[in-house]
Amino acid sequence: MSLAKYRHAFVLGLQGNLVYRWNFAVRASLSLLHLAYVFILWGAAFSGQESLAGFNLSQTLTYFVTILVLQFFISAMNEDYEVSEEIRNGLINQFLLKPIHYFSYRFSIFVAARLVSGSLALIPLLLALPLLWPHLEYPTATWTYVAAVPALILSAFLQFTLAYCFGLLTFWFLEIQSFIILSLAVETILGGQVFPLDLLPAPLYELSSYLPYYYQMYFPAALLTGRIATPEAAIQGLGIQLFWVLALYGVAQFLWLRGLRRHTAVGG
Amino acid sequence: MRAAQYIRIWLAGARYSMVRTMMFRGDFIMWSLVELFWMGVNLGLIGVIYQHTESIAGWGPWDMAILVGTSLLVQRLLMGFFWTNLFEMGRNVRTGTFDFFLAQPGPVLFMVSTRKIDLDGFLNAPIALGVVIYAVNQLGLSPTPLQWVIYAGMILCGLAIHYATLLFFISLVFWIQSAKGVEGGYFALNEFSRLPREALRGIASVVFVYGLPLVVVTNVPAQTLRHGLELHHALWLAGAAALWLSLAVIMFHRGLRRYTSASS
Repeated sequence: MSLAKYRHAFVLGLQGNLVYRWNFAVRASLSLLHLAYVFILWGAAFSGQESLAGFNLSQTLTYFVTILVLQFFISAMNEDYEVSEEIRNGLINQFLLKPIHYFSYRFSIFVAARLVSGSLALIPLLLALPLLWPHLEYPTATWTYVAAVPALILSAFLQFTLAYCFGLLTFWFLEIQSFIILSLAVETILGGQVFPLDLLPAPLYELSSYLPYYYQMYFPAALLTGRIATPEAAIQGLGIQLFWVLALYGVAQFLWLRGLRRHTAVGG
Repeated sequence: MRAAQYIRIWLAGARYSMVRTMMFRGDFIMWSLVELFWMGVNLGLIGVIYQHTESIAGWGPWDMAILVGTSLLVQRLLMGFFWTNLFEMGRNVRTGTFDFFLAQPGPVLFMVSTRKIDLDGFLNAPIALGVVIYAVNQLGLSPTPLQWVIYAGMILCGLAIHYATLLFFISLVFWIQSAKGVEGGYFALNEFSRLPREALRGIASVVFVYGLPLVVVTNVPAQTLRHGLELHHALWLAGAAALWLSLAVIMFHRGLRRYTSASS
């Protein structure tokens, strides 16, 4: 399989997303408002005590800053809608006639989009860095960063594949927005974006660690901020994450093949 | 126009929205669940934090539940009455479909703001109110009927403030042709309404308590249920509502003067 066509898709994705650079920049700037809210809320919660669940205020704030950066680098943003639109408008027909793997094509564009959004998000964050710096406290152990690299790649893949699956639901449903927003709500809480998951009661935390949402955002963020305590726990997490990547990719292929059977291409 | 005519027009819009909602019942149920789940996310955050601490800026868990419930109640009412209308206004101005409202036999702002209602927004409003009532009971408070009436009035002031700030920023569409980002901005700013006023200090207090009335909208009604009416706070809330409504109406009509039809 030639990779050149996906390189072209990647370059087109870069160009296409640079058009929306101001949208990303505005979104990143607004996320600083969210960060201000987080700092105020958690600052008030820590008032009068050194630690919550074994982590101090700086470690907790570092976690939220990391989550924010990761959102712009590995989150699926509107990939589900793009897939959905292409199915609904019949634009997908052109891919059925060409020797191109639709999943890989969309993934190439996703990688380009995150490169653009992630880079742009760094600008307001760098401007705010003098304010953030005194609160940042990252771990010193090298193994956490070594484990974080594959975790980040797998997380991006997981994020994209889940969004892709939701987009493919358009083969069956005309309107998928409510599914997406509902999934986003689940992902927001079980992905650790609202609070670090280790603050949950132990049985709930244990349960969440077997769900795919845990590996979408929390797991790499927890590795980068020292919330995964041992290399063994990191390896086990990577194993479960790989399982979910493969499982969801299987689901995506299944939905694609079944969906195409229902799809009717009309037009000249 | 007399008040009865306004009510008749609004009821006609509400009837149309209801019929339309019942045509897409599955969607209605899904969106109601979505809204309910998001409310759960907000309450879940508070629940988890209070597993590890007893107080946030002097507010206990059930005090915070009153605050968060109040914030959700105002937000649900905004979603139910105005959200879709105001965002459609932004789109309509850009595409020229806004002409449709200019041709209607009624004040433009009224027609724009009340054309549709979202039932899924309303459906969760009683749940938000339920959270507030439950929290009040857990605290052993017994607000008098008058306190509840004042609370309801304050919620309406809060709704007016949210409506006005949203209208103010959406009206920018008359100048900049796109209201993209306002939605994200609204949700980002609205998070501050779930914070106790005592948690905000320094510049944050100046911006979010005195500049934008986000914290006042929820803290004043919640404090009324917790500690009774404080007149100067009530006047502050009412004054903020009047001020923001005036600013929004001026902004809208200034924008309207600039509007040139884009349709053919």
